[in-house]
Amino acid sequence: MTQTPVQTGGYTLPEFEFVTPPELLGTAVGGEVGNGGKVGNSGAQRQRYPLVIIGGGLAGLALACDLAERGVRAVVLDDDNTIGVRGASSRGIVYAQKTLEIMDRFGIYERIRAKGAIWSVGKTLAGHDVVYEFDAGAASDSKQPPFINLQQFYLEWFMVDRIVELGRTDLRWQNKVTGFAQHDDHAVIEVDTPAGSYSLEAAWVCDCSGVNSLVRDSLKIGMHQARGIDCWCISDVRFKEKLPIERWTWVEAPFNDNRAVWQHLMADDVWRMDFQMGPDTDLEYVSRHDVAAERIRRQLGNDVEFELVWVGPYSYRAQLIETFRKGRTLFLGDSAHAMSPFGARGGNSGIQDAENLGWKFALVLAGQAPESLLDTYHSERRPAAQFNIMTTRRTARYLQPESPAEKILRDAAISLAKEYPFARNLCNTGRLSNSYIYGKPPSSKAQKHKMHGVDVGEAVQNVEFTGPTGLRMALVDLFRGNAAYVGFWNGSPATLSREIILLANRSAPLLRMLEVDTGKTGLSTVRDHAGKLARALGLQAGKPVFCLLRPDMHLAARIEQPNAAKVKAALRRALEGKA
Amino acid sequence: MKTTLNFTDHDAFYERLIAAHQGLTDEQSAQLNARLVLLLANQLGEETLLEACIDAARKPFGPYAVPKE
Repeated sequence: MTQTPVQTGGYTLPEFEFVTPPELLGTAVGGEVGNGGKVGNSGAQRQRYPLVIIGGGLAGLALACDLAERGVRAVVLDDDNTIGVRGASSRGIVYAQKTLEIMDRFGIYERIRAKGAIWSVGKTLAGHDVVYEFDAGAASDSKQPPFINLQQFYLEWFMVDRIVELGRTDLRWQNKVTGFAQHDDHAVIEVDTPAGSYSLEAAWVCDCSGVNSLVRDSLKIGMHQARGIDCWCISDVRFKEKLPIERWTWVEAPFNDNRAVWQHLMADDVWRMDFQMGPDTDLEYVSRHDVAAERIRRQLGNDVEFELVWVGPYSYRAQLIETFRKGRTLFLGDSAHAMSPFGARGGNSGIQDAENLGWKFALVLAGQAPESLLDTYHSERRPAAQFNIMTTRRTARYLQPESPAEKILRDAAISLAKEYPFARNLCNTGRLSNSYIYGKPPSSKAQKHKMHGVDVGEAVQNVEFTGPTGLRMALVDLFRGNAAYVGFWNGSPATLSREIILLANRSAPLLRMLEVDTGKTGLSTVRDHAGKLARALGLQAGKPVFCLLRPDMHLAARIEQPNAAKVKAALRRALEGKA
Repeated sequence: MKTTLNFTDHDAFYERLIAAHQGLTDEQSAQLNARLVLLLANQLGEETLLEACIDAARKPFGPYAVPKE
């Protein structure tokens, strides 16, 4: 696939070459011939592909990359020929630790780290005062920092490069989906391209086409919707002045008529400034470059030289579909759920949708797990989306008090926060994205970081240790190339080792067993000198524990006093999608 | 939610609360009350107890819509 560099907004970004799909060349070989070998509207034979992804945004690319990384082929249909959809607009910019860990598994974390702005300190301000600050880095054992800021198009670009490198994905640029029909065992997709129209069949469809999904509408899936009254004007600004690489959020910014402002550094010395506007703002007027430039001057002072890269208005909405799976179709990212961007929950949750679904498809398509495993995508990711929508709604309401009484309560929280720690938690400028704990009712309490062992359903951090070959490795390095579960056992009691080794051999390649530290049992052993793995999994010396990790590194089971029968049963339950 | 007397000295509390409002404008009084509500709520902390107190306070003014999910 060819990339052509294009200049936009001071960036050099790729445009991807349109390649005439095999259907329009009459040479389709990608899959089996569809039922009855029907002839498409362009005269080519209709092919059936095992898995088609619609939409090449964060969710679609992450799914394609996850599948390719696990050895699964897919077709991606994207209506555009570039990354991003609004030219040089930065769009989603804060990537949270879990997303960065996923990118480490994909093999592109180093590119993200080299390009992006790493931060962990956040400050909340009101007027000229810092109300409080936090350092999210303090409590983390992960190889990845809490956050990296990066323009969304860079992340998409890195994923495209990786997908191309892995060579398992049929990436079709400028393939716009114009029609969709679902049947019992497949769907038919109509596609428009610069070389003409064609149709293809898909045994499974993953719709990642965004908030205005044609697939979702054609399946008539129910959707809850709420439109926010909040309007924001986003400015991407390039300047050389060095500001601290921290997240600054003003609840009340004196330079924005006492409304909220976000200030974030991204790649290439470009800063992302989000300005909250009044409810009845003329969005066209406030997005004019001269008006935006005046706002920036009020923020930075008159002597700072800057360049406006991109300016655009946003009004936010929340929407959530009733079911994340309908027949042969699954919905990921914005086509399933949309929310205000507070706390960076849009892009991160789309990528985590993909992470949740990728390994399930890998197992189901290989016949290693029943189809019902796919239903757990709905039962796990819809509550995660509900939680994100609730969380962003609360932030939006805090930032836009709807009555004088609400404003007084907000002022009270701010004034108390300067003196008393408890009130800092009430000042809500966004609850930053954490990975969701599957199987737990959504609650802000459930998202607290624990130092001593994750709960079942919770993601295990990407900690580092010494691998079986004696080389330093991270947890994600155990989860590449397939969709296997990994079992960690602390080697106690040693009399169990024969049974466990037998089970490990019988369950390969579905389950890989590793022993932590003792090395007395004959299993592959990892050395956990720094104790990070033990801390993440809650392993204690002398206390027999077996931890079963899913291919997405969420804990499937923690078995105290393990034996082979218990481990086997836990694996079976996990594959059937039961907790 | 306790509905019988729990103060160690109820009259002293009431007098102290009124004294704290003295010399304040209506707006400042409203701010004091709001600060006090948040401080007291953090002393209680427990979610269902706080919900019961909010509902009891709202009672004379009719039902209200609780945000879902």
